[in-house]
Amino acid sequence: MVKPVDHLKAGKVAQFEALALPHFKSAYNLARWLTRNREDAEDVAQDALVRAFAAFDTFRGGDIKPWLLTIVRNTCMTWLKRNRTESLPIDDQIPPVDPAQGPEERLLASASRDQVRRALEQLPPEFREAIVLREMEELSYKEIAEVAGVPIGTVMSRLARGRDAMRRILLREEPA
Amino acid sequence: MTCEQSRIYLHAFVDGELPVADHLSVEAHLAGCAECGAERDRLLALRSALQDSYEDLPLGLETRVRAALQAQSKPRWAIDMRALAFAAVAVIVITVGWMEWTPRSADALIARDVLDSHIRSLQADHLMDVPSSDHHTVKPWFQGKLDFSPPVPQFGPDWKLDGGRLDYIDGRPVAALVYQRREHKINVYIWPSQNAGTKAVQETESQGYNELHWGRDGMAWWVISDLNKTELLEFAHLLQQP
Repeated sequence: MVKPVDHLKAGKVAQFEALALPHFKSAYNLARWLTRNREDAEDVAQDALVRAFAAFDTFRGGDIKPWLLTIVRNTCMTWLKRNRTESLPIDDQIPPVDPAQGPEERLLASASRDQVRRALEQLPPEFREAIVLREMEELSYKEIAEVAGVPIGTVMSRLARGRDAMRRILLREEPA
Repeated sequence: MTCEQSRIYLHAFVDGELPVADHLSVEAHLAGCAECGAERDRLLALRSALQDSYEDLPLGLETRVRAALQAQSKPRWAIDMRALAFAAVAVIVITVGWMEWTPRSADALIARDVLDSHIRSLQADHLMDVPSSDHHTVKPWFQGKLDFSPPVPQFGPDWKLDGGRLDYIDGRPVAALVYQRREHKINVYIWPSQNAGTKAVQETESQGYNELHWGRDGMAWWVISDLNKTELLEFAHLLQQP
């Protein structure tokens, strides 16, 4: 009487893990950059993954990664609303690139992880998520649009502006 | 393709999001334009720097999540099982309690009726409707007054039959037989009862009266008197003889 349902439940965990486990690192990485905090990211990622498991019945097949990251993203956004941190509009806080400055690609190539981290963390969350999903998670525009719940045109615009802002921040941070 | 056009396409180009024809056009322009080629390299350098900043899964997170998933499926069982066990115990307690309590409470109500009836029968000098020591007179008297024919046992002078009466116990008309032991009046109430079945003699006592009751052949028997219990039990024994 108990066994069959127990078996089904165990089967659901195994099925979920088979598909989702390879993307746990993506879930954490996205949470880490959206919360900007490792401890919170662990909590939020765990929360999101447990939620994903609970909602696993609604997964309609295909690539699980965008589906999973949508849940992570939404969990993060809820967390951000609850733990609201000041974030300036992207164009107000970052000075424009000085075209007279040295070879930027060399600078970018030599930028320390710490510099990149600080630059990324300065972006408003919607730009940060577009950059992380594209550059780190290598999602397509269509998938990013799905995860962020915005049109593809918005994704393209956020990516271009986000990249531009990051470059400006990194250039500004370069010791003169 | 101009540099201006190339720059518009460049992000989508490095992201591999351009249709093949456009992709090839941008590629051709980049091959011949150092300025645009440098911009592409900067975008790729940024990507590379970002990919280097990828945060690894913290140690133990995967284990914790997997444990949480297990917990989400298993403890639910534990809770269900506990709830189930609790429900089962509750059902047993309620059932047993009901079985124990209901007849007792029903008996208590009847005992009250019997006592009231007994006292009333003595007070109002309305002990008998049919005063007769002959069961051949008493038994037929009940005909047409009850929906059953009560047994009317007759014993020797030690347990003298005084007569019969129609009474009302437990919401129904019953046969009341009056016996006498020395100066003690004994009321015997008999009626058919589904609950009676065959039930051993039970004793109660209230307001100085002894009450005995039992069930036999689907008949409820209640005996009440101020007679001492030992003798009343003896009488009950006689009444139970076939």
